[in-house]
Amino acid sequence: MISLLWSVTIVSLIVTLIISVYGIAAKPNLVKKLIALTIFGDTANVLVVLLGYRVIYPVKPPILPVWKESALQSFLNTAVDPLPQALVLTAVVIGMAVNILIAFAIIQIYRIYGTLDVREAGRFLPNLLRRGE
Amino acid sequence: MNGACLTPIIPILFAFALPITSILVKGNRRVVMAYALTGTGLTLVSALKLFQSAYSSKEPLVYTFGGWTAPVGIIYEVDRMSALIALVTATLMFLIAIYSYRYIEEALEWYFTLYLGLEAGLLGVLLTGDAFNLFVMIEVTSIAAYALVMFYRDRGDSVVAGLKYALIGAVGTTMYFLALGVLYYGFGTLNFANLSALIHGLSFPVVGKPWGNVVVASGVALALATWAFLIKAAVFPNHFWLPEAHPAAPSPISAILSGLVVNVGVYSLARFVYTVYGGSLSAGLNSVVHALSVILMFLGAVSALFGALMMLVQRDVKRLIAYSTIMHMGYLVMAVGVGSQLALSAAIFHMVNHAVAKALLFLSAGVFIHAAGSRNLEDLAGLGRKFPVAMFSLAVASLSLVGVPPLNVFFSKLLLFNAFMGKSFLLALVLVLSSVTALVGYVRVFYEVWLGKPKGDVKARESWSMSGVCLVLALACIVIGLLAPYVVSHYIDPAATQAVNYKLYIQKAIEYASKVKLGL
Repeated sequence: MISLLWSVTIVSLIVTLIISVYGIAAKPNLVKKLIALTIFGDTANVLVVLLGYRVIYPVKPPILPVWKESALQSFLNTAVDPLPQALVLTAVVIGMAVNILIAFAIIQIYRIYGTLDVREAGRFLPNLLRRGE
Repeated sequence: MNGACLTPIIPILFAFALPITSILVKGNRRVVMAYALTGTGLTLVSALKLFQSAYSSKEPLVYTFGGWTAPVGIIYEVDRMSALIALVTATLMFLIAIYSYRYIEEALEWYFTLYLGLEAGLLGVLLTGDAFNLFVMIEVTSIAAYALVMFYRDRGDSVVAGLKYALIGAVGTTMYFLALGVLYYGFGTLNFANLSALIHGLSFPVVGKPWGNVVVASGVALALATWAFLIKAAVFPNHFWLPEAHPAAPSPISAILSGLVVNVGVYSLARFVYTVYGGSLSAGLNSVVHALSVILMFLGAVSALFGALMMLVQRDVKRLIAYSTIMHMGYLVMAVGVGSQLALSAAIFHMVNHAVAKALLFLSAGVFIHAAGSRNLEDLAGLGRKFPVAMFSLAVASLSLVGVPPLNVFFSKLLLFNAFMGKSFLLALVLVLSSVTALVGYVRVFYEVWLGKPKGDVKARESWSMSGVCLVLALACIVIGLLAPYVVSHYIDPAATQAVNYKLYIQKAIEYASKVKLGL
């Protein structure tokens, strides 16, 4: 049962990844592209947490209470490797910075062109490119 | 333990302190400029020190952050390849900072904040010895680069180009993050030396054996990571952001993006292919790496031909140069794919030469663009005669990139040619064909700017800070070209030898790792 749930979770995460890449590539609306990008990033984060996780019971926080070799064995049996979570924490922070930058760019495009559709914004480009700096 | 490995700290500290400094001095341009020059200058001194110590010691240098050694903490491990490219990066960043003073007319403090952040990211990528730290540093580089592409934020084309770059770049770095998750799942470590030790079946403290199936994990991780690096290096199927993003940025930034930022992808790829997955491997891993190298050679060849052909039809000067970047990245990725030591030294030499020559080309074109206020080749016609120094630099840069003998890129193309001939005649043919095609593109720029009929009267004088930087780089192109055999035997070949020597790389990390005392 657990392994079935496990594989369903992983497959659904991979499907979400594929759908979000499709969303980034195919949706003409910039805000929808940004939403797809955040979904892509979050799914990748969940997947990495999941790869570092193992099903154990009882679960305790990964803290070694006493600095002794005997304590180490029970620690290994009850703790989940915290490193993937630490990696994800870093990736979440970086992802936030990128998303804010992209959101700024989208607002700026709306201010300049009055549209969020890449096809319409693209129509303005050829003349502007010749205007130069 | 070598303190010079901390080079990336200098620009990042300067970057974070710049906005406050700028408020204190009420945005005085001269003070901001002096501040930026101090920041990049100190970084250059530090990179030079690092370069000296890397070339005087026979082993890679290691810096352990907070004393935490290899698999437990993040270490910086600097071999000659990293130190050499770091020196080139720091030098170019310093020179381009001087150039920026006249070119950037507004918001100089924000420009330099991002600029120093970009430098920190670039150096971090080159010096790190940890795959996860590489991810963080690639992101630092990328965020600064996205923002700098959008620097003219009131112009629609810049913002659209920057947004496109940011979207595709964010997808790429997330791919790399996924690759890291898979690598950690398979190996239980993200340190380059430790990964390499596990792959080659050598012992390593703490993580002595892989946790999962090494071949599957390597296959998935390498596929995802290569995709991400090819996006960063703008190689064929992922190249489409580059011809818009590089021209949309201010010219000094285009020079950095085309000369240095794209190197990040190639350098990381080379680090993975040569140091982590180099040497003799088990049968399963060998087929994975072989498949990867075939893909790299194919995509590189397509990219080189495509870039060369697209150069012919451009009317925007910077777009033309941007396509030439795609072509040169194609060569580098092909060389990484070939996988021999000769190919690596050719790739390192070409990376250095391309960085100098391409930066010079963008900077000297930038002088004309700044004067004419247009990127259209027709508007620049005949301007060359008013700016003799910039014209000379443009000529040196374009002739060098074509591969005319006494100039630097000729010698790296010669090395590339030899390396390709060792693998297949077809690769060498691609190199020759694309170079000949590109010749037409470069000569068109050169001819139009020099001998073309002037359209209007441009009132501008040559400024010493812009043309002077161009002249320095032009002389560098000539000097590296004339001294090429010396440079190759004294700097490039040792770098390639050390990058391929994964045993020494692992050995050095173990030396520190074995000192760790857990106290049990």
